[in-house]
Amino acid sequence: MTLRPFGDRAFLIELEQRIDPSIIDVARAIADAWEERGLGEATPAYASVVLAFDPARIRWADAAAAATALRSAPPPATAPARGRLIRIPTVYDGPDLAETALRSGLSIAELVDLHSGQDYRAFFVGFMPGLAYCGLLDPRIDAPRLAAPRPRVRAGAVAIANGQTTVYPADSPAGWRLIGRTELRMFDPGREPAALVRAGDRLRFVPR
Amino acid sequence: MRITAPGMRATIQDRGRTGHVREGIPPAGPADPVAFAAALELAGCAAADAAVEIVGLPFAFRCDDRRVVAATGRDVRVRTRGALPGWMSVLARPGEEVVVEGSPRTRFAYVAVSGGITLPPVLGSRATYLPAALGPLPRPLVAGDALPLGASGAGVAAAGRRIAPLRYGGTARAVIGPHQERFRGETVAEFFSATFTVLPESDRMGVRLAGGALTPADAELLTCGIVAGAVQVPRGGAPIVLLADHQTTGGYPIIATVVRADLGIVAQAAPGEYLRFERVTPDDC
Repeated sequence: MTLRPFGDRAFLIELEQRIDPSIIDVARAIADAWEERGLGEATPAYASVVLAFDPARIRWADAAAAATALRSAPPPATAPARGRLIRIPTVYDGPDLAETALRSGLSIAELVDLHSGQDYRAFFVGFMPGLAYCGLLDPRIDAPRLAAPRPRVRAGAVAIANGQTTVYPADSPAGWRLIGRTELRMFDPGREPAALVRAGDRLRFVPR
Repeated sequence: MRITAPGMRATIQDRGRTGHVREGIPPAGPADPVAFAAALELAGCAAADAAVEIVGLPFAFRCDDRRVVAATGRDVRVRTRGALPGWMSVLARPGEEVVVEGSPRTRFAYVAVSGGITLPPVLGSRATYLPAALGPLPRPLVAGDALPLGASGAGVAAAGRRIAPLRYGGTARAVIGPHQERFRGETVAEFFSATFTVLPESDRMGVRLAGGALTPADAELLTCGIVAGAVQVPRGGAPIVLLADHQTTGGYPIIATVVRADLGIVAQAAPGEYLRFERVTPDDC
């Protein structure tokens, strides 16, 4: 594990850099411990945790000591409770579908079958409100991120990148490959809870 | 507080929404936190109060009763009975129109009114996050909007106080990394010596830069949490400095992170202007 300053009011702890539910659980345990100690807000992801603090409240040296202690002796990790199954009706007509199939050596129909043929675990919610990072894709799908993010994609865009899949919950810039779209509202501030998917849920894409 | 001229895009902001990053909800809050905090202080508000951020001046309003008001930001000035500078507390009489003006370089202006805007917080904050329609008034202000204000002990004695404006333009201080090891050493050195140009596609989410000829990292990054000020380098090599509406996580390696006190220098850089980054250590700031 490495620990580095992230600007002047946060630290970044990095774990072994691969997508593995047991690593995600460690990241979440570190984040929970930081927040439970009242040090600030923490952002866990696949294999890293951002530990933010307010320098007006906590001195740099004290925050650094607390982060170092968590890196040296991470709290025990526990798996999240098993979530719900959420079905995502999907029209597979995204602008990157054909090129992604081609570079993967698949027909479009084969890529759609692979993407919709399994359930995915929602690892965590991030990037923007209600966007769930889900995986893992079938390894036959070769989908690196785009070299330059698109300045704008529409809410409901179904996307893939680097073994992961998601649905964009709102219009936004996007660096993932767009393969389809859904009418489901992934985030609705008037709804309780606003985010359709929570960490631990399972997603199934249903072609239509 | 009654809005008579809303500018191009004015939103209610406070210092930002915390406690919801794990639902993917960004902090929002001001793009230029130093100018925002100065406006609050000059108007006699508390640090947690809400005020208005404006893109595209002029902005104008009236208050029903006597209030202390302040406008800050880059090249901002105020007109009431006469012309006044920005970054100064101004006494506004009941019903008197206060006009906030800027220059072509002004990107974000802030207007605070004593008592603060007291719309009910949403998810613990009054900050507006337009992309997800979050906040107590999740849309740009329009002429005719009437915003409730808290109680104010506005007195003549409060007027005329000044805070020195942030020194905009030029150089922003940044801490190396946290992903410096994913770049070649000469790319990191280039980042701290190059002159970048601000692109027009910049907004509250981030400032896009051209120039610098940065070699992107060889490997992609596993999606990782982000803070405001993070300088992402996508595979095309053109860096993006993330601001208040930044995504909560991202997948592009971060070569450096602008310190909070200098976020406004980045946010207020106008398209076509130059920006450089000076390396500092985090405990200098």
